[in-house]
Amino acid sequence: MAISSAKGSPKAPTLPLPSPKAPPGYPDLYGKRREISRLHMLEREISFLEEELKSSEGFQPASRCCKEIDDFVMAKADPLLPTRKKEKSRSRRFWKWLCCTPCSTLCSCLCCCCCCEPRCCDGCSKHLSLPSCSCCQYLRQCSCKCLTPATNCCRGSKSRCCKGSCGCQNCCIPPSCNSCPCLSCCSCKCSCSCTCPTCPKVPQNCCCTNTKSCWNPCCCYSC
Amino acid sequence: MSLSQPKMSVAELKERHLAATDTLNNLKQRLNHTRRSLLDTDLAGYARSQGKSPVTFGPTDLVCCRTLQGHTGKVYSLDWTSERNRIVSASQDGRLIVWNALTRQKIHAIKLPCAWVMATAFSPTGQSITCGGLDSVCSIFNLNSATDKDGNLPVSRTLCGHKGYISSCQYVPDEDTHLITGSGDQTCVLWDITTGLKTSVFGGEFQSGHTADVLSISINESNSRMFASGSCDTTARLWDTRMASRAVRTFHGHEGDVNSVKLFPDGNRFGTGSEDGTCRLFDIRTGHQLQVYCQKHSDNETPPVTSITFSISGRLLFAGYTNGDCYVWDTLLAKVVLNLGSLQDSHEGRISCLGLAADGSALCTGSWDTNLKIWAFGGHRRMI
Repeated sequence: MAISSAKGSPKAPTLPLPSPKAPPGYPDLYGKRREISRLHMLEREISFLEEELKSSEGFQPASRCCKEIDDFVMAKADPLLPTRKKEKSRSRRFWKWLCCTPCSTLCSCLCCCCCCEPRCCDGCSKHLSLPSCSCCQYLRQCSCKCLTPATNCCRGSKSRCCKGSCGCQNCCIPPSCNSCPCLSCCSCKCSCSCTCPTCPKVPQNCCCTNTKSCWNPCCCYSC
Repeated sequence: MSLSQPKMSVAELKERHLAATDTLNNLKQRLNHTRRSLLDTDLAGYARSQGKSPVTFGPTDLVCCRTLQGHTGKVYSLDWTSERNRIVSASQDGRLIVWNALTRQKIHAIKLPCAWVMATAFSPTGQSITCGGLDSVCSIFNLNSATDKDGNLPVSRTLCGHKGYISSCQYVPDEDTHLITGSGDQTCVLWDITTGLKTSVFGGEFQSGHTADVLSISINESNSRMFASGSCDTTARLWDTRMASRAVRTFHGHEGDVNSVKLFPDGNRFGTGSEDGTCRLFDIRTGHQLQVYCQKHSDNETPPVTSITFSISGRLLFAGYTNGDCYVWDTLLAKVVLNLGSLQDSHEGRISCLGLAADGSALCTGSWDTNLKIWAFGGHRRMI
């Protein structure tokens, strides 16, 4: 604002008129640091690729990798492959032929245990003809579905016949197991009594295993 | 000018960013060009040139020998022991079950603190099992521990630290004290179980690694310092546990999430299974993509691959799919030789997990139909 000066005194400088200014530009540090970080990562990726490009000069062609795979695969025995091999031992072939008679559809012994381990099928052999045996290296135990009544099936050789997966419903003699559809009831102590009245969808084998509590939440009673 | 000094403007930084991206793309092109020049054949082409005949299965060669029933929810993961034919399975019903695979008996039924389990594994000695899932922690159970008053096996150790779900876990071979996890937080972690602490983190915010969820890991049995990982970022990566700062190599090729990775039995290759419906075989030393396994369907739909494994020789590649198929591929000739999903007693739902027995004599499949099934060679070996 101009100030009128008195007669003879010098004039004061005129202040500029105030004018609104844009707010100062705050540095976008977060965005900048983010950009720096991205650039770091890119430059790191570049150095990795440069290394890889250099090392790729010494790479072998794919055909050599394929040969390595082929050699490895052909050299290694594989139990899941249907191989056809010449049997060297005549007596072994004879034993297999003797052992393996045509299968009765009534007994589904799933593996060659009848041939390889005759004692496995002792429990079944009284009642059922031996099935044809294929060499199932994996399954060493027979799963014999005994069609004769439980007492016959399980009598005497109960522990063998019913081991694990016997279909005998009443394998275990104690009556408390009659209502317990345990698949492995022969190996349990047969003290379970399981009922699941409010759980219609619970499968039959939900009940007790061994003597432990029924693990399925629908099975309410402990053994 | 050091990037650590914020003297460059954002505009300059963006310019450098563009230049670096150009350099990166240029290098990638050169690398791809070099790789293509080395890809003189694929595995099937090589096998055909050697006069290989495809594997042929008779109708009863591979059969379902056992069905393990007991879960009341989808099965998500399974693992075999290295001996004694036991299997552990993890299910959406919130339980782990340890099975005797021969007798179908349930040896343990473990109620989990968190029902949303996604992965499980047996320790090399078979004394412990581990599992993890949406709770982002890995729980360890000692199978020799006494059960609590409710009959449950207690958690013996909890491994905390992931910031996302646990998608996969595996013990380091021959070491009950170390395991590796893959996670939705884009990292893999090597854990020391004794201390409960992370030994190494592979990938993540400050290191070069996957840029999306890790879905699967597989440790090299021949060299346990190497492991492969598969991710939603469509890549598989190879890691050296001695160098966590970056992957040894990144494998591109898939067009969708890599849901499953598995080391090939010779330890120098690995297979992958993907959301894009293909399986691929990669060489770990050269990075070559040696084979693509893709089965065209009549409706042009290719269901995603959920899980893969190799037979003990590597000749067979087993791949489970979301539509319930389980293809058996002839690895050498890239042909489907059998579909377990079309056999008698096959699963009625998605195949979610696969595992081969330690001696290679049986395959176990897990499914969303709540069952596990064991497949073994049931055919005749004819004498000639």
